Amino acid sequence: MDMYNGGPEISIRSLRKDGMKFVLSNTDLSVANALRRIMIAEVPTMAIDMVEIEKNSTVLTDEFIAHRLGMIPLTSFDVDRIQYTRDCTCTLYCPNCSVELTLHVKVNVDFDDMNDPTIDKTRQVSSLDLISSDENVKPVSDDKSHPILIVKMRPGQEVKLKCIAKKGVAKEHAKWSPVYGVAFEYDPYNKLRHSHYWIEEDENLEWFVSDNAVEETPIDPNEPFDYNAKPDRFYMEVETSGCMKPEDVVLRAMTIMQDKLGGLQIKLDDEFKEDTQRWGY
Amino acid sequence: MISKNLEEARADVKKGIKESREHAEALFGGKGLTDPIPTVEDKWKLLPAFLKVKGLVKQHIDSFNYFINVDLEKIIRANERVKSDVDPHFYLKYTGIRVGAPERPDQEAMNRSYTPHECRLRDLTYSANIYVDIEYVRGRQIVRRKGVPIGRMPIMLRSSHCVLTGKNELELARMNECPLDPGGYFVVKGVEKVILVQEQMSKNRILVDVDRKGFVQAGVTSSTMERKSKTYVGTKNGKIYLKHNSISEDIPIVVALKAMGMQSDKETTQLVCGQDSKYIDKFSPNLEECSKMKIFTQQQALDYIGTKVKAPKRAFGPGIRRPPAEEALDVLASVVLAHVEVHDNNFRPKCIYVAVMTRRVVMAMLRADLVDDRDYVGNKRLELAGQLLSLLFEDLFKKFNSDLKMNIDKVLKKPNRTQEFDVYSQLLFHGDHITSGFVRAISSGNWSLKRFKMERAGITQVLSRLSFISALGMMTRISSQFEKTRKVSGPRALQPSQWGMLCPSDTPEGEACGLVKNLALMTHITVDDEEEPLIKLAYILGVEDVSLLTGHEVYMPDTFMVFLNGNILGITRYSKQFVAAFRRMRRAGRISEFVSIFISDHHNSVHISCDGGRICRPLIIVENGRPRVRSEHIEELSAGKLSFDDFLRLGLLEYLDVNEESDSNIALYEREIIPESTHVEIEPFTILGAVAGLIPYPHHNQSPRNTYQCAMGKQAIGAIAYNQLNRIDTLLYLMVYPQQPMVKTKTIEMIGYDKLPAGQNATVAVMSNSGYDIEDALVLNKASLDRGYGRCQVLRKYATLLRQYPNGSYDRLADPPVHPDGIASVGERIKPGQVYINKQMPTNTSSDIGVNSRDPTANAYKNAPMSYKSAMEGYVDKVLMTTTDNDQTLIKALIRQTRRPELGDKFSSRHGQKGVCGIIIQQEDMPFSDLGICPDVIMNPHGFPSPFGGSKVEDMSRILIENGFSYSGKDYVTSGVTGEPLSAYIYFGPVYYQKLKHMVMDKMHSRSRGPRAVLTRQPTEGRSRDGGLRLGEMERDCLIGYGASMLLLERLMISSDIFEIHVCEMCGLLGYAGWCQHCKSSKGMAKMQIPYACKLLFQELQSMNVIPRLQLENVF
Repeated sequence: MDMYNGGPEISIRSLRKDGMKFVLSNTDLSVANALRRIMIAEVPTMAIDMVEIEKNSTVLTDEFIAHRLGMIPLTSFDVDRIQYTRDCTCTLYCPNCSVELTLHVKVNVDFDDMNDPTIDKTRQVSSLDLISSDENVKPVSDDKSHPILIVKMRPGQEVKLKCIAKKGVAKEHAKWSPVYGVAFEYDPYNKLRHSHYWIEEDENLEWFVSDNAVEETPIDPNEPFDYNAKPDRFYMEVETSGCMKPEDVVLRAMTIMQDKLGGLQIKLDDEFKEDTQRWGY
Repeated sequence: MISKNLEEARADVKKGIKESREHAEALFGGKGLTDPIPTVEDKWKLLPAFLKVKGLVKQHIDSFNYFINVDLEKIIRANERVKSDVDPHFYLKYTGIRVGAPERPDQEAMNRSYTPHECRLRDLTYSANIYVDIEYVRGRQIVRRKGVPIGRMPIMLRSSHCVLTGKNELELARMNECPLDPGGYFVVKGVEKVILVQEQMSKNRILVDVDRKGFVQAGVTSSTMERKSKTYVGTKNGKIYLKHNSISEDIPIVVALKAMGMQSDKETTQLVCGQDSKYIDKFSPNLEECSKMKIFTQQQALDYIGTKVKAPKRAFGPGIRRPPAEEALDVLASVVLAHVEVHDNNFRPKCIYVAVMTRRVVMAMLRADLVDDRDYVGNKRLELAGQLLSLLFEDLFKKFNSDLKMNIDKVLKKPNRTQEFDVYSQLLFHGDHITSGFVRAISSGNWSLKRFKMERAGITQVLSRLSFISALGMMTRISSQFEKTRKVSGPRALQPSQWGMLCPSDTPEGEACGLVKNLALMTHITVDDEEEPLIKLAYILGVEDVSLLTGHEVYMPDTFMVFLNGNILGITRYSKQFVAAFRRMRRAGRISEFVSIFISDHHNSVHISCDGGRICRPLIIVENGRPRVRSEHIEELSAGKLSFDDFLRLGLLEYLDVNEESDSNIALYEREIIPESTHVEIEPFTILGAVAGLIPYPHHNQSPRNTYQCAMGKQAIGAIAYNQLNRIDTLLYLMVYPQQPMVKTKTIEMIGYDKLPAGQNATVAVMSNSGYDIEDALVLNKASLDRGYGRCQVLRKYATLLRQYPNGSYDRLADPPVHPDGIASVGERIKPGQVYINKQMPTNTSSDIGVNSRDPTANAYKNAPMSYKSAMEGYVDKVLMTTTDNDQTLIKALIRQTRRPELGDKFSSRHGQKGVCGIIIQQEDMPFSDLGICPDVIMNPHGFPSPFGGSKVEDMSRILIENGFSYSGKDYVTSGVTGEPLSAYIYFGPVYYQKLKHMVMDKMHSRSRGPRAVLTRQPTEGRSRDGGLRLGEMERDCLIGYGASMLLLERLMISSDIFEIHVCEMCGLLGYAGWCQHCKSSKGMAKMQIPYACKLLFQELQSMNVIPRLQLENVF
C-alpha cells in the first residue's frame, strides 16, 4: 500500500442539491469502482414496501398502484434511526422498522359540471396526497408544481390505502437505490491505452474527448508510453433521487465500504490465527 | 476544445455531402439524386385521407353493406313466390325486404337497442331482425303486410346497420367501444368472429391451362345465380373436345358446335381460326373426326350428345324421359357455359363463345407462352363476408320457403278447417331456421351449401385480441382455397402482380407460407356493379354486335373483341380510342370508378370488368408527363377543403385493378416519370400492409426478417384497445407501461399503433456479456425490471353457467368458504387451488317430474366448485353476473396476474430479432457508458446482420455528432464489474423492444408421478393434464442403437404401464390369481410383467375372436 501514500483524496468539482461531481484520486481502480457499486446498490434508504389497499376504484389495478408507490423516493437522511425489518423484534412491522404513509382520495361527483366538457374533471393523485406519519420520511418533493403522479381519477372514484415504508438496499429492489446514475471515468485522453478506439479514418474527428479532460493535460505525442502507469484519478458524478444529499450518499457508501472491509479484515485475522494455531504457519 | 471538434466534424460531414454531389453529377449528367425536382410535396397525405374515407377494413364493411342493402333485395326477387301444390289459387309473394336496427331479441325489454359490447359480455349475438313485406291469399282476398320478421341477421360492426356507425369518440366511449377498433367482424354468442377474405379463381373467365398430362385446355367456371359449373375445351391426341360434368364423355368440339347450330364447316373454321393458315392446319383434324363420325346435321349431333348426357335428377321420380336430343339441347342451353345466356334458342352467342375458347386452345397449342398464369393476381377474385353471407342467406331462405310450403300444404290438405287459413301466423311461428343457420355457420365456420355443392370449413375465425396489431392483421388476412399439402411452389411464390395489392412481407412461415396473404395498405376490393349501363355505353362508343359478323371479320388484324365480365359483347376496330373514351367516362364519374378496362394484345381483345372481388388500388393519373395532382391540391387537402373522394371526382386519381395496372405505365416516383407514363404511385410504402408497416427502415432489412417481424408483431403484448379494461376475454395480455416507439413510420401513425402500442423503448447495448446470451438470448437489467420494464398483466376468464334442469332443479351458489355470496370478491387474492366460485349442482337432474319431489335426496346438492389452477397467485379483477338469451345465469370471473419478466421470457425487436432472457443481472454489474447510463437489455451481436454497420444514415449520424456521440452510435463503455473500459466500442441506444406472449410460466412443466389415462394406464399427455414427458420413437431408436436395453425396459414399461399377469403355460391364455379359467386348473401358472396396453390388446383381440397365446420358455 505504499503506492497510495496518505490514502484516497476527494476533490469536489461541483455540488448541487441532487448531484455532485468529484475527483477521487490517490487510490486504486478497484476501490473507485467499489465505491460506485456501493452507491448504486448498498446504501440503505426508505421506500414503500407494503401497501394495504382498502378501496381502489381507479382504472389502475392494485398491484399497479402498489408498484408506482414503491418507486416514489422518500426522504431518507434519517434512515440510520430505522432498523431493518429482518433485524427487528416485531412480527410484521413496527414503528422501529417502518414508517406508515396513508393515501385517501375520493373524487365526488358534481352533477352541475357533469356534462360540461370544458371542465377538466380529472383529479391527479400525486405524491403530495401521501400523508406520512413521520416528518423525516416523506415523499421527495422539493418542487410542489411537479409532484410525482400516482394515478389519475375521475368523479366517483376512490382510493384509500396504507403504505408501509421500510428500510432496504437496492440489491434487493431498485426502489431503494439512492442514486439515479453514477458516471465514472478515468484517463479521458486514454494515455493508459486501456481502450482501443474503433476508428475508420481519424480518431480525433470521430471520437470526442469527454468533459473530464479539462482536469488533465492533453497527450504529448513525444512522450513515451508508460506501460507501468496505473489509473489514479477517477472522475465521478452522482445524481441522487433526492432522498438524501449527494455528499451523504458518497460518505455513507464509504462508511459501508469501510465496515465491509473491516469485517473482512477481522474475519481474515481470525482465520489466519486459527490456521496458525492448527497448522503452525 | 470540444466545440472545435464539433465544428470540424460538421465541416467534414458537409464536405462528404459535397463530394457525393460531385460524384453524382459525374454519373447522371448534372442531375443529382438530391437535386430539387418539381415534386408534389407530401403527396403521402393522400394516404391518411384514403384511410379516413375507406378505413383499413372497408372491404369487409362495403361488402356487407352491399349484401344487406342491395343483394338481399335481389335474392328475394329471385325467390319471391311460395305456391301450394294443394291450392292453386294460393300464393305468397315477397315484395320487399329490409334489415332493422340491432335489437335485443327479448320482446319485453324496456330498451330494445343494445351495443356490441353488451353482446360480448353477455354471450349474445349482435343481430337485427330481417323484415319482409308480403302479399298473400287469405280465403278469397289478397292481403298485404309489411314488416314481418322472418329471422335475425348478425350485424357486422361498423356496417351501415351497426349502432356504432357515425358515432364520435365520446359516444363510442359511452358504448364501451374503442374508437380505434376497425370493426368489420361479427359478435356471435359473445365471440368476435371474422369472416376471412377468401381467394378464388375468377368466375366466367376463360383460362388456358396445361393439365397434368401436358395437354392444353381452356376452362371456364360459369357462375350464375342458379348454378355453378365448370366447362373445359381441351385437347386429347391433338384433337379438341368439350368437357363438362353433366356430359359423361368428351364431345368432339365440332360435334358440340354442330349441336348448337353451327352446321357449316367453313363457318366453324372461320370462327375458330379466322384466315390464319397455321390455325386452320391445327384445327382441321377436328373437322375430319366429326365427318368420320358421320355427324353432319344439328339433329345428328344432338342425338349423339343426348346419349352421353347424364340423367338429371328429377324431383318426381323417373317420370317421362324426354328424347335424348331434347335433353342435349337443354343441357347445352342452360348447363354448359351457363353464364352465356341462350334466349329463344338463339345459340349464336354461345357458339361464338365456344369458338373463342377453341381458338385460345389452338393458339396455346402453337405457342406455349399463351398459356395463362393461374397465379396471376388479375385472374383471382377475393370473396368477402357479403358474398359468403349472401350465398348462405339464399340457401337458408330457400329452405325456409320450402319448409313453409310444406306447412302450408299440410294445413291446406285438411278437408274442413275451423279457421280461415292465414299464412301470416305460419310465417310468424315458423321457427328460427334463418337465425340459427346464420349463427351456426358463423360460429362454426362451416359453410355447407347443397345447392353449389359447397362444403367449406374454417371460413370464420375468432378475432385474435392478443394485441391491437393482431386484430388488425386478421382483418386484412386472405386465405387461399388451395390445399396446404400440395407441394407446388407456384401459388406460394411472390407474384410480381401482387405489387401494391398484397403485402410482400406479411405471410406466415411453415405450411401456410404464401397461401395466407395480407392486403396492402391502399387495397380496395370491388363489389358487384350494374352491367346494363356499361353495355349501353360500350355500344354507344362503337362496339359492334358480334352475332352479326362472321369469323372473317372478327379476326381481322385491327379488330379487337370486347368482353364484359368475361362475356363477349362485340368487336371494335378502334381499340385505343375506345378504351381512351371509356376511361374518360370513368374519370368524369359517368360510370363507377371501380370499372376497369384494359387491352390484351395477346388475344386482340378489350376487357371490361365490373364484377365484385377484384383487387384494386388508387393511383395518381399522369398526363403529358405531369401528375394531375399538384401541390395546391395537397394544400387544400391538408386544409381540409378536399377529401379523398374529391380527388377521385376531380379525375386526379383513379382506381386500377390488377389487369388494368398491367396495361399501364406506372412511375414509382415523380422523377421517374417518362413520356409514356400514365400513372404515378401515391406513396411507395403502400405496397406493404398494416403489419409490415410497423417496421422502421424495412428496406435495410434482409427480406425474411420483415416476414418474421410480421409474425411476431402479432404476438407482442401491449395495449389492445381503449376498452381493454372493460372486456372480459378468455385471455388478455396487457403491458403495464406500453410506450409508443421513438422511431415511427408513417404507417404507425396512420393505423394508430402510437395510440395502442405494444412494446417499450429499451436502452440496448449490442454486446456479448456473461455467456448467458448465446443463441440469441438476452441479458436483462434487474433494476430495469424492478422499475417496471417488460411488466405485463395476464387476465383470464373463468365462466360458468347456473343451469336450470328439466325437472325444475337448478344449480346454486353456496357461500362458505367463498364470501360473501359464493363468488370471490373483486380485488381478492386467489391462491393456486383456491375455490373462487362455489357452485353446487343438484344430484338428481333427471326429468322425472314430481316423482322424486318428496324424496329427501331430490334436494341434495353436490359440490361443483371452480378452483383456480395456475402456478401463480392471481387477483379477481372483475366478476360479471348476467343472463344469457335463454335465461340461464352466467357468471364470468376475470382473474389477473401481474408478471415481471423472468428467465426464459421471450422478447423481440422490430426486426425479426427474437430472443429469450438468458440471465438477469444486477444494475451495478451492468456495463455503463461515460454518462453513467446502464442498458436495460444487452443483446448478443452474433448472427446479427449489422443493421447500422454498413448503412450510414447521414442525418442520423449528424444528430449523433451534434450531441457529442460517435457518428456510428457506438459508445465508450465501462465494465460494471471491474471498472475498466471494455476494449470494444459498443452500439448503445434506445431500441423498441416487444415482449412476446410466450412466457415460461405458461410453459414450464415437469412430472415425476401423476395421473394416468383410464384405458391404457399410461401417463396422460400434455401439460394441462400434468402429463408425462414422452420417450418418443426417435429417442427409443437412440437407446436401441446404444444397446441400453434395461433403460429401454424401464422407460417403456416399468415407468409407464407395468402390469402383472398370470399366464397359463398349457393354453397360453391369461388367467387370474393363479387360476386358468380355460384349463380349469392352477397347474403351470406363471407370473410375468407386461405393459398394460399389451394386456389390453390381447383382450381386445379375444373380443373379436382372435386368440393370442403366449408361449412361455424358461429363461435360465
